[in-house]
Amino acid sequence: MFERRLYHHVDWAMVGAILTLCLIGLVQIYSATYTDNGPHANFYTQIWAILIGFIVLTLVLAFDYRSLADKSHFLYIAIVAALIGVLLFGVVRGGSRRWIDLGPMNLQPSEFAKATLALVLAKFFGEARRGTVARTDFLIATVITAVPLLLITQQPDLGTAVTLVPVRFAVVFVAGMSMRIFGILAVVAILAAPVAWKFALQDYQKERISTFINPSQDAKGAGYQQIQARITVGSGGPFGKGFREGTQGQLRFLPVAHNDFIFSACAEEHGFVGVVVALGLYLFVIVRSLEAARLAKDRAGSYLVLGVLASFTFQVVYTITMSAGLAPVKGLTLPLMSYGGSSMIATLAGFGLILNVRMRRFTN
Amino acid sequence: MVAPTEDRRRIASRVSVLQAGVIVWFAALAICFWVLQVVQTDKYVEMANSNYQRTLALRAPRGVLLDRDGRVLVDNRDSFTISIDRETTKDMAETIRVVSAVLGLNEEQVKENVERYIRAEPAPYRPAIVLEDATLEQVMRLKARKRELPEVLVEQVPTRQYPGEALAAHLFGYVGQASEDEVRDGGLSRNAIVGKFGVEKVYNALLMGEDGAKRVVVNSVGREIDTLEQIDPTEGRRVQLTIDLDLQKAAEDGFRHAGFNGAALIMDPRTGEVLVHASMPAYDPNDFAAGIKRTTWDALNKDKLRPLNNRVLQGRYSPGSTFKIVVATAALEEGLVDPDYRVHCSGGANFYGRYYKCHLKGGHGSIDMRHAIEKSCNVYFYTLGEKLGVDRIYKWAEKLGLAGKTGIDLPNEIASLVPNTEWKLKTTGQRWYPGETISVAIGQGQVTVTPASLANMIATVANGGTRVTPHVVKAIDEGKGWKPVPLAAVADRVAFKPTTVAALHDGLWMVVNAAGTGVRGKIPGRDVSGKTGTAQVISNEGRARARGTDRDLRDHGWFVFFAPKDNPVIAGVIFAEHGLHGYLGAPIAKHVIETYYAKKEGRPLPVLENKNTNEPPLADPDSPPVLEPVAVADARPVSARSMTARNTAR
Repeated sequence: MFERRLYHHVDWAMVGAILTLCLIGLVQIYSATYTDNGPHANFYTQIWAILIGFIVLTLVLAFDYRSLADKSHFLYIAIVAALIGVLLFGVVRGGSRRWIDLGPMNLQPSEFAKATLALVLAKFFGEARRGTVARTDFLIATVITAVPLLLITQQPDLGTAVTLVPVRFAVVFVAGMSMRIFGILAVVAILAAPVAWKFALQDYQKERISTFINPSQDAKGAGYQQIQARITVGSGGPFGKGFREGTQGQLRFLPVAHNDFIFSACAEEHGFVGVVVALGLYLFVIVRSLEAARLAKDRAGSYLVLGVLASFTFQVVYTITMSAGLAPVKGLTLPLMSYGGSSMIATLAGFGLILNVRMRRFTN
Repeated sequence: MVAPTEDRRRIASRVSVLQAGVIVWFAALAICFWVLQVVQTDKYVEMANSNYQRTLALRAPRGVLLDRDGRVLVDNRDSFTISIDRETTKDMAETIRVVSAVLGLNEEQVKENVERYIRAEPAPYRPAIVLEDATLEQVMRLKARKRELPEVLVEQVPTRQYPGEALAAHLFGYVGQASEDEVRDGGLSRNAIVGKFGVEKVYNALLMGEDGAKRVVVNSVGREIDTLEQIDPTEGRRVQLTIDLDLQKAAEDGFRHAGFNGAALIMDPRTGEVLVHASMPAYDPNDFAAGIKRTTWDALNKDKLRPLNNRVLQGRYSPGSTFKIVVATAALEEGLVDPDYRVHCSGGANFYGRYYKCHLKGGHGSIDMRHAIEKSCNVYFYTLGEKLGVDRIYKWAEKLGLAGKTGIDLPNEIASLVPNTEWKLKTTGQRWYPGETISVAIGQGQVTVTPASLANMIATVANGGTRVTPHVVKAIDEGKGWKPVPLAAVADRVAFKPTTVAALHDGLWMVVNAAGTGVRGKIPGRDVSGKTGTAQVISNEGRARARGTDRDLRDHGWFVFFAPKDNPVIAGVIFAEHGLHGYLGAPIAKHVIETYYAKKEGRPLPVLENKNTNEPPLADPDSPPVLEPVAVADARPVSARSMTARNTAR
């Protein structure tokens, strides 16, 4: 299975970048959750999540991605079943039902839906006989995406659900959807926006968006978080306030500084310098992954990389934009840095797939 | 399955499109962060600082006021002020709604107060005060909801604490928030508490102290985490008053016991140190200490008895027969008569073509000065008045301290008025008619005086001619121990002839100890000397017209006194508002003097017994004096009526 020579084809630079981002996140969690009695339990949980994540990453590397893709329909069925299970038996926290209680830890199946969807779509389009894609294929891809997406919407967890959309579009885009159709879809999306505003969005979601445009209208709720995020980032200055010296994060003016707004907290304590380092690492990981997509031995490999990378990139870009108070506040984690076991393990498993494709670019 | 070349090309080109998009987006993010963190950092640093740093004013306790024996009269207690931090409040209307509900206050009222505060205080870092002097229960209820209301602050503030029963209220005055003028002229903050009246006002600069400040770190729920810097407040200077707490209490008890309002100013005639300063009814200065409620303020202002009015300095009344002391002094010192000068009183006499009555129908017969003072014979003093003329009466009234202001170190004193020819010409443009002097000679006509000036007069008579300036502050602790305040300059010093002093003192002694009207002030062995007087509230014709209205037309009573007769140590005035008779004030003076001696000799202080309701009324020679020929015929029924009124009142 895992031949010795493959070891040399592992992209160690990317592994290093990923690990560094995990450690930056860990340090930031330590800082943000530190209590008078020492480090918070979250800190240790995150260490475990990183360790387990890398074990899963190694396991994913051990199997050829092609055989994983072949079996992906089983994974897909398992995930859909788990998502239904969550709706029926899940643990309720903060008004939504997202977790399955596994004793020592809770598992969030929706996090694993992203990589699974990437695998299924990669297999589906990779096996297509001709290089071009028929219209029915788009329809099937849409249905495959829609099933887990709608299930996650029911939890409700609109943020995670939306991260599935880039998976489908990235794969379809690279799989050869004509630019014309892409353009038509874009126009339809723009025209549909007001309709969606009127019928599809819930009141609180509309509020989030209108608050973004005018934060002072809801200065106590979402607007408050947005304003505080901007103050947090801005007051960090070029060189930051120092480790555990950030007033906004330490004194809880910035909400969830160890999770959704971890990048703001990092920007406060380590300044613009820290921001550039973190942004650089993320960009490096993304660009290296895109290279893996280009280098892939087969179409399925390229599609798999892009599918995994699409949700990762979307989440990174959105969360960082939000952490500077420049996007509406949405409960999304920053992959690799934010606190959260399921997110960490699923993200690392996804990178296991990307590394897998690159590593096996020469194998038959 | 190897990807065909066509596929590879397409994948490669589309991946490049994605890559370009990602790089552009990351570059844009980097620029955004650069703008926030490098270009605009100062602005956000300031915002972050105002998030977690809060500057709290630490109000300085005002200086403690002590009595002459060093007993604490006015102190400070801790009160709770609840306010809203305007900088961290996101929705003022909502905060006001919740706070009002938690504190059990009227939301509209709170809103109005906060809005008024914000209009008056534009600096946003000063929290808007919602409630001063909150109860402990309100504070506890608020603390329980602290998490939802991080912007609501509870501060412990030192607040003035005055003695109970409104003791010496007008002397202490009261405090309040600095007015617009005081803020502008005094460089004070709008939240500053300043003296508005009484000693609090006059000695405000000493008493106020200096506020401190505390810069603290607070977390997002408003909890104080750390103190960055603290400037401790400096307490105001301690001030020792000349007031004697025991005598003050004795005087106020005396009024309550007698059942009328009025005023008392009692001092040491040798120095002018004020021992008692009382004005009844009084307000409770504690009501003002933490901001007076509008309803309380309105009630005080509308009260017909005018409790805010300091009768000692702001009330002006006709002195009645007490003015005869001035006329006697003038006649003796001007050398017009000697104490043995006799006048025949047949119950009245003619002056300038008019007949003026004495109060004793049959007359006093041939009477010398001592007995004229004792019996308060009108004809004797009409005669002296005719000899003196109004200007010489005025001259001696002024020398005794009865004209103008006494110069006491308390605010809002009004001038006493004793007429003279120049004054009349200036104010009315008319010359003085000699007949008017006859009324003035018995303290009627245009003579109106404050209780304070009457006290000053009797003190000057008591000490033999030295017009002292009454004052209420004895010593000040400027931080280096007590420093006595130098005695106020003596306003005037005329050494009376020994014969003058002897005659006056003898006559006044006889008023209390022989057949005079002051017998209720008599204390065996203490040689209390004094004189009663009646201040007509309204003329006899006016009284007839005003009948049926709700105005209180009963006369005021005076009792001026000193003790002992020789080398007096205590002197003063009791003003009995609508008390009908001067002699009813004498028991109050007696109680104060007895307390004075009991204290001096280490005996238990006297306590007033329950009122003896059987005490028979005395004949009152001060009752409605007769001025006009028209009134003569009417004299009898008037005094009968006043007797009836008194009996009903008792």
